[in-house]
Amino acid sequence: MQTKAGWIVTILGALCAVAGLAIMIVLGPDSRFTTGPHEIDTDGIAVVTAPSVISWKGVQVDVLAEVPVNKPVFVGIGNSVDVENYVKDTRRIEVTSFSTPWSVRMRDVEGREGLSGAPTALDWWIAGSAGLGGARVSTLLPDETVSAAILSVGSSNLQGLKVSYAYGIKGGFAKGVGLVLVGLGGVWGGALIRRGEGYWEDEDEETVFVRRRTIPDEEFEELEEIEEVVYLYVDENGVEHQISPEEAAGYEVVEVVVEGEDEEPVEVEEAQDAADAEPEPEPEPEPPRPRATSGVLTAADILAGVDSSSMPEPEPESEPEPDAKTGRVVYVYVDDSGVEHEVEETELDQFEMVDEPEDPDDPDRKGES
Amino acid sequence: MRRALSALAAAALLLTGCAAIPSERDDTAPSKRAAAQADVDAIFDRYRAVRNAAVGLLDPKPLSTVESGPVLAIDTGSFEVSQRLSTTQDEESQDLVVTDVQTPSFTKYPLWFMATAFDPVGKVNRVQIFQRDSAVEPWLLVAAPQTVVSTELPELRQNGDGAALAVAPSSKAGMKMSPQDAADAYARALGSNGTSTEVEQDDFIRQMRDSFDANSSLEGVGVTQDWAAEKVEHALRTDDGGALVFLTLLRLDTYDVQPGVTVSWPSGSPQEAFLAEGISSSGKLRYYHQVLLYLPGGNERPRALGQYGGVVGADAQ
Repeated sequence: MQTKAGWIVTILGALCAVAGLAIMIVLGPDSRFTTGPHEIDTDGIAVVTAPSVISWKGVQVDVLAEVPVNKPVFVGIGNSVDVENYVKDTRRIEVTSFSTPWSVRMRDVEGREGLSGAPTALDWWIAGSAGLGGARVSTLLPDETVSAAILSVGSSNLQGLKVSYAYGIKGGFAKGVGLVLVGLGGVWGGALIRRGEGYWEDEDEETVFVRRRTIPDEEFEELEEIEEVVYLYVDENGVEHQISPEEAAGYEVVEVVVEGEDEEPVEVEEAQDAADAEPEPEPEPEPPRPRATSGVLTAADILAGVDSSSMPEPEPESEPEPDAKTGRVVYVYVDDSGVEHEVEETELDQFEMVDEPEDPDDPDRKGES
Repeated sequence: MRRALSALAAAALLLTGCAAIPSERDDTAPSKRAAAQADVDAIFDRYRAVRNAAVGLLDPKPLSTVESGPVLAIDTGSFEVSQRLSTTQDEESQDLVVTDVQTPSFTKYPLWFMATAFDPVGKVNRVQIFQRDSAVEPWLLVAAPQTVVSTELPELRQNGDGAALAVAPSSKAGMKMSPQDAADAYARALGSNGTSTEVEQDDFIRQMRDSFDANSSLEGVGVTQDWAAEKVEHALRTDDGGALVFLTLLRLDTYDVQPGVTVSWPSGSPQEAFLAEGISSSGKLRYYHQVLLYLPGGNERPRALGQYGGVVGADAQ
């Protein structure tokens, strides 16, 4: 189950990364694909796209229309219901199909030489712009059927019209990078899940996890399950040390963790059998813990019936070690075999001093020679 | 907890990325919601400004930029009455509260939507239709029947996108009759002197019949009343499978007065404004009534929920 989930996440991540890479390559760093200028041969006053031509949503579209000698021109994108009604009686060129980078099919539609109103006076354009010699519109395609229109303004026409077109995704390159990163994260996460280090196991602070041996892909088909017993010794600092089974026999088994599907940690009694360990040595009696007290009974102590005589007396100070406490210097002679021999101070003139004590005040440190 | 948060963050990141990724639309057929909420606010603001300007000048001409059809005819008649009687018109209340907007989707013009607004001055609900006939024309008020506050409108059915569903005037699917047939039946009921069983005998029918009976009782005066329903253009599907129909009725009152008799109207009435000298031989008064008709689903008969009307013209000899 875990392995399957891991593979699914890995494959999805890989697909995501590939898609992101494709977006980065197609759009480039400016997140746009641009084509043009392309000349459109017309002496009319309107060029519009049929409703089926612009079939995408969520795409950032730029249209630039340029006409010579500073003629006024308008570029707009509007709902097809509005645009169709607006130009229905006007002679126009209708773009019936378009494919990138620039493959266009057009047809002439007969009508009168004039629009039913100034395009700049209309309130339903999703985006519109007018200018002398050229006009540009840039908008995000909405989730509705839209048409683009290039219209002459006033008494001029669109002779000499050139159109440039660009489309892209706003922040597309960055989104592509994001997709790649998310995809790579998916691949990595999938690998972790397959190795059992993912999010699928219940983690417990008390549980000691044992790393499972990794099975190479080519061996995966033959080897399905490997049982491995690892003994860990946890010292007083909470640091784990791996020990051999022989060494483990000398320790108390506190907890046994069996890694696998839906298996609970084995209780200590069962664990001894499972671990097949040698008989546990008798536990040493725990020394009585010293209790800090002022020696005066509190109200709680009186209520609890504690006798002041039962209060622990302060422990007598231990006798100071003669060597350490008196500061006596011990001189040691190390022979060729590395064996140390204590020598008297009077014999020192027969030896060469090779080491001085670092801190003569330190009572625990003894001089070596 | 840490793991859940990490997983949640990763999922959110992926979903955010997916949402921003462009995609091809399944349906490229032209379609448009009539108006967004911002459009509705702007339309109401413009209407209020123009109407108040017209009221200030007691001149109905500016109204032609925000009203059309029977509504414009009724309001123009109302202004004419005010001018002749030297009275004033109420300004459009700034406190008008738009309580509901229903916007169908359309594949072509005209576009229209329904807006319900509470008028705290008149203590009525105005159920209005704003329409745009073409892409180059402004939004105009074309229907404005009023209901009393206690009248509850039927719930309207909406599609998955929240758009109200328009009913074709000729469609009778799920109903006793089509909206156009209901409008024609209602006009017949108003002119039948209470003998029609096609529609409910509601308050509006009773009120019109009482008015007609009062005029008919005048000695030496022959009165006829003709009703005609105009073409239905606006109907919305209700939750019960019925329809809420906006219909316009043209009413023509014809008076034939015997020699020596003159028909006159109370001072300050719209009829008196149009026919100050009264009718001493023959005369006609034309009215527009806009009726909000509820056509229930199933086999129930249509009934009126509200109306708005007035004198729009007169001539007399």
